[in-house]
Amino acid sequence: MNVNLENQVDTKIIDEIMSKHKGKPGELLTVMEEVQEANDYKYLDEASMGYISSKSKVPLSQIYSVATFYSFFNLKPQGKHTIIVCRGTACHTKGSKILLDDLTTLPGCKDAFDAGETSFTTDDKLITIKTVACFGQCALAPVVAVDGVIYSNVTSEQIKKLLENLQEENKDENIRLS
Amino acid sequence: MSTSYQLKRADFIFKNENDWEDVLRKSISRPPNELINELISSELKGRGGAGFPTGLKWKVTSEEVNDVKYVICNADEGEPGTFKDREILSRVPFKVLTAIAICGHVIGARTGFIYLRGEYFFLQNELNKAINEFEYYCKEIKFDFKIKIFMGSGAYICGEETALFESMEGKRGEPRNKPPYPSSFGYMGKPTVINNVETLAHTYTIFKYGSKRFYDLGVQYSRGSKLFSVSGDTPKPGIYELELGMSLADFVEEFGDDDTKAVQVGGASGFLVPRKRFAETNIGFQGKLVGISLPTGGSMMLFNSSRSMFNVLDNYLNFFAEESCGQCTPCRVGCQQLLKGIKAVKRGEKNAQYLDKMLKLAETMQFTAKCGLGQSVGNSFSSIVENFREEMIY
Repeated sequence: MNVNLENQVDTKIIDEIMSKHKGKPGELLTVMEEVQEANDYKYLDEASMGYISSKSKVPLSQIYSVATFYSFFNLKPQGKHTIIVCRGTACHTKGSKILLDDLTTLPGCKDAFDAGETSFTTDDKLITIKTVACFGQCALAPVVAVDGVIYSNVTSEQIKKLLENLQEENKDENIRLS
Repeated sequence: MSTSYQLKRADFIFKNENDWEDVLRKSISRPPNELINELISSELKGRGGAGFPTGLKWKVTSEEVNDVKYVICNADEGEPGTFKDREILSRVPFKVLTAIAICGHVIGARTGFIYLRGEYFFLQNELNKAINEFEYYCKEIKFDFKIKIFMGSGAYICGEETALFESMEGKRGEPRNKPPYPSSFGYMGKPTVINNVETLAHTYTIFKYGSKRFYDLGVQYSRGSKLFSVSGDTPKPGIYELELGMSLADFVEEFGDDDTKAVQVGGASGFLVPRKRFAETNIGFQGKLVGISLPTGGSMMLFNSSRSMFNVLDNYLNFFAEESCGQCTPCRVGCQQLLKGIKAVKRGEKNAQYLDKMLKLAETMQFTAKCGLGQSVGNSFSSIVENFREEMIY
């Protein structure tokens, strides 16, 4: 099985990450985070998890149980950009559901959303949309994070503009929506 | 009934003070017992929401005999509507670091951790810079103490202290059975003090000014000041430091928009207070003789008459159903059933009496769930359903 796995994943990167954290308590989470970050599509594929398991002697079931427990681990390939909509109560009362509904009209998202999934990616793999329980920015509600940059008091029009920016690939890092 | 208490602002936590080096040096030259007594006489209680006396926590942990102990700063601020810890860590990080180190001196720990919630990734760089500067100074005064940041991975339940330990040990963040308590069996099975960010920031104030300055604020059983995260339908959302013991009526007078119909005190796991109860409700820890006292981690969310309480409850239950760790049955199944139930009543598939059955279920969860998450689902559920029953049905 190991021979097989080594053909599918870049074992060198994983080996490097694992040796960097060897012996530290709680290393599994850190290793998994960094392996995910090193992946081109920012997700933990089965082969990588299998390889971590065989190297660390932690059962695959335990690795999988950790990966499914925390919302930061992705089990599916992620889009190039990530939009995170806060679904906390303050954002909810200030209209974050409307923003989310706007985003689900993107091609490929509607079905996944209706099926109750909390993370979905557009057909062209450009944008992944996720929700978060609370960003801790409730005074600025509703809040949306785009590729790690947090935007406050977001409206539907601004979401539209933002999507255009992402789709045209001319995203200006400095655009602040408000 | 409401006392003559007025809303009193305090300004300790965010006060700009560049004297952490002095506070650290002076405090660690005092014997641990003296510091513990200072904390105990200040009557500081945990500011994360549960309200355990901080001095007692430090005392019990200091009495444990073990070569290795830990101090953990709980910065897994996940309660919807709470954002005070983020503000503390970005504005006055040195107060928190100093408090962690003093705690280390008191209990005999050489390592401290800050468990930072994953969603606060943007704080990490600045905080690491502060830690470097802090450790450099510690080395200078020959005080052997290290602080490390541990990043969470996005799970609300990890704010529960034992789930947090599990998560730091690289496992699923599932709460442990208590006892044993963290003071004897915490992170890696070692005696551990785990305090909320704000609690630690208050200990800084106490060690600097003495316990009396702190004790003089607030009311009996609820001493000191507290940060409140104000959000929702309010003209001035933000963070405010207020003395404990205020009546909700005074609070709404100050922060409401003249149309406040209810206030959710303590976030999703807290209580909803309708307008008719504002006057008799006080914000503080249990034990006051008159009226109702509500403890809070600091989240105060105001709703005006345009808000449907059904939508609010639906939002809370979706949150709990998603964040329940799935370990114990009352919480795992209970959250799902409550969520399904209120939808069925709303659609008319179940009659109104079904709400009473669900209230019983919520009560059962309060008694049988393993940790604070499952036990507190009933708080918001019961207080919303009992006070806004008609909005659940029509």
